[in-house]
Amino acid sequence: MTKKMELLAACHGKHLDKVPYGPRIDLWYNYHNAHGTLPERYQGWSMIDILRDLGVGGQKRHYSVVKEEIHGIEVEETHDPPYTRTTYTTPYGTVTSTLLFNPFEGAWIGYESEKLFKSDKDYDAIRCVIEHITPVPDPAYEHACEEVGEDGLVMSGIRGWSAPQRVMREIMGYEMFFYELMDHPKQVEELIEVMKELDRKKLQLVLDTDIELVNVCGNWSDDIHTPVFRKYFIPWFKEVNAVLHAHDKLSMAHIDGENRRLLPLLRETDIDVWEAWTPYPMTKDTTAQLREAVGPQGVIWGGIPSILFDDPTTDEEFDDFIVNTLFKEAAPGYNFIIGMGDNLPFDGKLERVQRVAQLIEEHGTLPIDG
Amino acid sequence: MSTQSDLAQSVIDGDWDAAAALAQAAADAVKDPQVIIFDVLQPAMEEVGRRFSEGEFFLPDMLAAGRAMTAALQVLQPLLGNSAVSKLGLVLIGTVEGDVHEIGKSMVSMFLKGSGFEVIDLGVDVHPETFVDAVKTHQPDILGLSALLTTTMPHLGKTIGALQDAGLRTQVKVVIGGAPVTQPYADMIGADGYAADAGAAASLCKRLVSCE
Repeated sequence: MTKKMELLAACHGKHLDKVPYGPRIDLWYNYHNAHGTLPERYQGWSMIDILRDLGVGGQKRHYSVVKEEIHGIEVEETHDPPYTRTTYTTPYGTVTSTLLFNPFEGAWIGYESEKLFKSDKDYDAIRCVIEHITPVPDPAYEHACEEVGEDGLVMSGIRGWSAPQRVMREIMGYEMFFYELMDHPKQVEELIEVMKELDRKKLQLVLDTDIELVNVCGNWSDDIHTPVFRKYFIPWFKEVNAVLHAHDKLSMAHIDGENRRLLPLLRETDIDVWEAWTPYPMTKDTTAQLREAVGPQGVIWGGIPSILFDDPTTDEEFDDFIVNTLFKEAAPGYNFIIGMGDNLPFDGKLERVQRVAQLIEEHGTLPIDG
Repeated sequence: MSTQSDLAQSVIDGDWDAAAALAQAAADAVKDPQVIIFDVLQPAMEEVGRRFSEGEFFLPDMLAAGRAMTAALQVLQPLLGNSAVSKLGLVLIGTVEGDVHEIGKSMVSMFLKGSGFEVIDLGVDVHPETFVDAVKTHQPDILGLSALLTTTMPHLGKTIGALQDAGLRTQVKVVIGGAPVTQPYADMIGADGYAADAGAAASLCKRLVSCE
């Protein structure tokens, strides 16, 4: 069975011989590649080749299988690295956002240092921008799949964040979103609906690809706020999952934040795989608590807090965590893929990525004793 | 219930219209409006912080409470006349280089102000040199550093190092926070304190200034 097959088999709930491993190292790789500080052995290597050399089936991130093209309104982009400022001129006014992307930081995507939404005067203009977006297939997704082949999984989906979270986080920012929900709830809900319409079009394009595991949302945390999650997120995920499941596709959520208050709601979303799970000490919750929340059928991908890959965690402490905490809490180990919560830090120890594979070889035969 | 306890409850409930009206009524009933700030509003915000830390309140509850506190302060501020509200200390706060997350920092800022600190917010993506210049200029009691990502956590240590290089390290207490940050990490990089949330940050800062 190839590494890709192992990971997908686990996502489908199939029982394997050993608990599978799907590490993520793009943060470490991007940082050191940009700085020219990759280990001497790996100078000039691709990330996937490094993972192949380590003997592990990792993951390569690809933002979306769908690109967004804007037609019918004026869009102006100005570049002042690491910032890119985009201005949209609509019949309802002009709105601007700024993206910060510094490859030397190791990140694989940028962040909005200036949000599109500034005040309630911007609702109509932003709605207009979204309505002029046409989704088209992204050929780069196929290239990523060719690069990875059967040696791992290309993690991609509709877009980084789901429709409600895109409004909340990308367009408004959490603080503004909650103030606007207090002051202009109808307009906020209309904006979320317009965003959902866009995502529905994208979903149809996703169905035409061979992607099997679809990322439907990322970077969850309690900041989403339980009542908001219940009202806006759950119904949306149920809708998306009904479509995906009807076409034999699985869904995934990237849940690397503090999720204590959301845990009781996770099962209601019908999401299949919970990726980038980040337990204590980086969050308040344990892997055992997540298992209880998602039930025996939910697939957990993660479990190793990323800070453990570096000092002050010693090698002995690292091994002890993997064998005596993670494996014990993951036992019997079915519906589980070992991985990072959520990435190998840029100052993380690459040798510990391989060490996990060794420990799985020694202790990861299924079923694992609890 | 008395006007003062109604005012406190309006802040806890995040009812900013009621908070403004009750602040006026409460101020009318006392000689010194500062009493309203110290004995009513600040304890109300501390209660909000406690409820958030214990999982009863969520982020929007804190935002609403902060808005109610601000509404009450806007009523009281003109009534203070020439007497400035004595401050516990000055806190500079910012999100470190490469990080644009601000919700946590904003919450801490709100709670610190609610607790009686003067706060200067340096914003997001703040480079170590900028923190150093700000410390030189404002001479704060405390420097608060926020990092929400494992990618940007190392800039916490770099900022502390920059303070060291500038000869300023002993002149300011450094408190750090953010999702991936832990107490052991704070100890490792030589921070003076770590706070898990906004309420804890306010309590920690009070302890740090009272030890000076």
